[in-house]
Amino acid sequence: MRAAPRIRRLLAALLLALPAQAALACGHCVEDKVAAVYDHAVATSAFARKHQVAFFALDGKLAGTPEERRVIEQAARSAHGVDAGSVRASSEFAAVSVSFDPARVSYAALERSLERKLLRRGLRLLPLRVMDQPAVLRTAERR
Amino acid sequence: MKHRICLLLAALAVAACGPNSPPAPAAAAPAPAADRYDVAKMDFKSPPAKISSERHKGAFADGKSLSMTAELKPLDPAPVKEVRLDTTHKIIEIAPGVKFSAWTFGDQVPGPAIRARVGDKIRFSMTNRSDEAVPGVQLTAAPMMHSMDFHAAMVSPQDKYRSVAPGQTIEFEFTLNYPGVFMYHCGTPMILEHIASGMYGALIVEPREGYPTKADREYIVIQSEFYAKPDPTKRKVDGAPLYVLDSERLRAAQPTHTVFNGAHNGMVRQPLAAKAGERVRLFVLNVGPSKTSSFHVVGTIFDRVWMEGNPDNQMRGMQTVLLGSSNSAIVEMMIPEDGSYIMVDHHFANASQGAIGLISTAAKPAAKDLEHHNMAATRTPTEVEAVKGKADFESKCLACHSIGGGKKLGPDLAGVTKRRSDDWLTRWMKAPDKMLETDADAKAMLKEYNNIPMPNQNLTDAEVRQYLKYFRWADAQPAGTAGAAAAH
Repeated sequence: MRAAPRIRRLLAALLLALPAQAALACGHCVEDKVAAVYDHAVATSAFARKHQVAFFALDGKLAGTPEERRVIEQAARSAHGVDAGSVRASSEFAAVSVSFDPARVSYAALERSLERKLLRRGLRLLPLRVMDQPAVLRTAERR
Repeated sequence: MKHRICLLLAALAVAACGPNSPPAPAAAAPAPAADRYDVAKMDFKSPPAKISSERHKGAFADGKSLSMTAELKPLDPAPVKEVRLDTTHKIIEIAPGVKFSAWTFGDQVPGPAIRARVGDKIRFSMTNRSDEAVPGVQLTAAPMMHSMDFHAAMVSPQDKYRSVAPGQTIEFEFTLNYPGVFMYHCGTPMILEHIASGMYGALIVEPREGYPTKADREYIVIQSEFYAKPDPTKRKVDGAPLYVLDSERLRAAQPTHTVFNGAHNGMVRQPLAAKAGERVRLFVLNVGPSKTSSFHVVGTIFDRVWMEGNPDNQMRGMQTVLLGSSNSAIVEMMIPEDGSYIMVDHHFANASQGAIGLISTAAKPAAKDLEHHNMAATRTPTEVEAVKGKADFESKCLACHSIGGGKKLGPDLAGVTKRRSDDWLTRWMKAPDKMLETDADAKAMLKEYNNIPMPNQNLTDAEVRQYLKYFRWADAQPAGTAGAAAAH
C-alpha cells in the first residue's frame, strides 16, 4: 500500500511522457529538426552575402498544422534582424530557421528578439545550429 | 491370485518401458549446439560517426560488395566492406514517358545492393551531393539534407543516422550480427517523401556459414511505390512532362506506380535469365513505403522461403510470400521447363501498376507470354486529370472491368466514350442504382452481366470528370495500346 502513491506518480509521469514521445518520433535528433527547416536556396543566398543561417527548436504545445506553421513564420518574420523571405518553420518537427546579417545584429540579439515574438505564442526557443558557410553546421550556444 | 498380481505388475512395468516412456538417460549428453545468436559473441562496438565538410568527388557508389543491377555478385570475402553511397538528385524514368524527379543513393534507384556476411564490418561513407549537377537532365529537386538508416545495423540512431547538409560527409562503421535481407533508406524528415523519392536499397547479410543450399542464379528484387504527378509548373524533359512527387497521394497511400527495381514493368523488358532445371534464388525486399506485397511467381512454387532472408526462418512449398513495408524474404525455386515465369505482386491492383517481371529461359521472351496474362506495359496519359483517373481506375475498377482486355464481371470499357454520351456516363458513374430504376440501357446491361449491379461508389464530380478524361484518353490511343487489365 505504501508504494501506491509512488506507482501513481510514476504512471502519471509515464502518461505525461507518452504524447511527447509520439510527437518526437522520427524527428527527435537535432539534425532532423535542422533538416526539416533547411532550405538550400536560403542558405546559398545567405552565404553569398556573408549572412548566417540559425536553426532553433521550438519548445511548447504544437498541433503540427499548416496554419500553425504560418503563424510561427509570421511571428519570426517580424523579429529584429531576420532577413526578409528567409524564415522556414516546421510545426510538425517543432523547428524554425532564419538567416541574418551578423554585422547588423548579433546572434544573441537575434535570439532574444525571436524569442520575444514566439513567447507570445507560448513557444520557447532552443538554439540548435548555425551555418556561416556551406556544409558546416556549428553548435549554437544559448546566450 | 498372488501369481496374477505379479503378472499384472510385470505387464505394467513392461508398458512403462514401452515406446511412450521417456528415454533412459544417455551415458554422456551431447554437447549443446552453439547458439549463433549468443549476444555475448556479437559486436555492438561502433566508434562515433564522423561528420566533415570534405566533399567526395569520385564515383557516387563504390565498393567491391556492391551490385548495381538485379544480378547479384558473389560474396566478397574481405571481412571489412568499404561502402560509399553518395546522395544525388536526378531524373529517372519510372515508366515509359514518365520522367520522375528522384533522390538517390549511389545515383540510382534502388540504390546498389550491398552483400556481406555475419561478422563482417561495414565501413560506410556518404557525401550529400544533392547540390551537384549530375549527368543527364538538370530539372532536379532543390538540394536538401539526407541521412542513412541501415536496418542491418545495431547502433545509436542519434549518432549514426544523423542528417547531413549538402556538401557534408558522414562516416561510420558497424558489425553485422544477424543474417537477413535488410532495407536501407534515408531517415531524414519527411522520411515518407525521401523513401517515395527513391532513397532505398538492400543490404544482404549471409549467415556466417553461408546458405544451406546451392543456387544457380541469384537476383535482387525490390518492390516499391511511386506517387507521381505532372509538374504543376509544367516543366518538360526532352519534350515530355516532368513528373514530381504527389504529396497528397503519398499521404493517402495511393500510388501511381508500383514497381520492381525502380521501373514499371522493368523486368518484363529485361527479364532475369535462367535455364530449365536451375535453382533460382531471389532476394525479395518490399520497401513500400506504404503498401504490402504478395510476392508470387507464376508457374513455379517456392521450394524454400527464408523470411527476412534468414535460413533459420524457413518455410517450404509456398505459393506466395507476404511482405509488409520493409519486410524481406529469400525465395528459392526450381525452373521446371523452358518458359517465362512471371513475378507479380498477387495483389493485382499493384501488379497492374507495374509490379511485374519475368524470369525467362529465352534470350528475349515471346510477346505471347505477356499477352496471355494481359500484363503488357500500358501507355500513360500526361494530362493531370486523366492521370488521376487512370490511377483511380487501376486501384478501384480492375476487379470488374478492363480496357481492351475483354469482359469481366462488368463490361470492357474500351470505346466506352464512343458508345455512350458524356452525360450518360456521368449520370451512370454518379448514381448507377438510380439509373437502374429508370434507364433502359442500364437495365439491359444489368441483364447482360448476370444481374450483378454496378455499386454506387459515391464518386465526387471531380472523380467522375477524371474517369471521363481517362476513358477519352484511352479511346484516343491506337487500338490495343492503352490496355488496363489484370487477370490471371
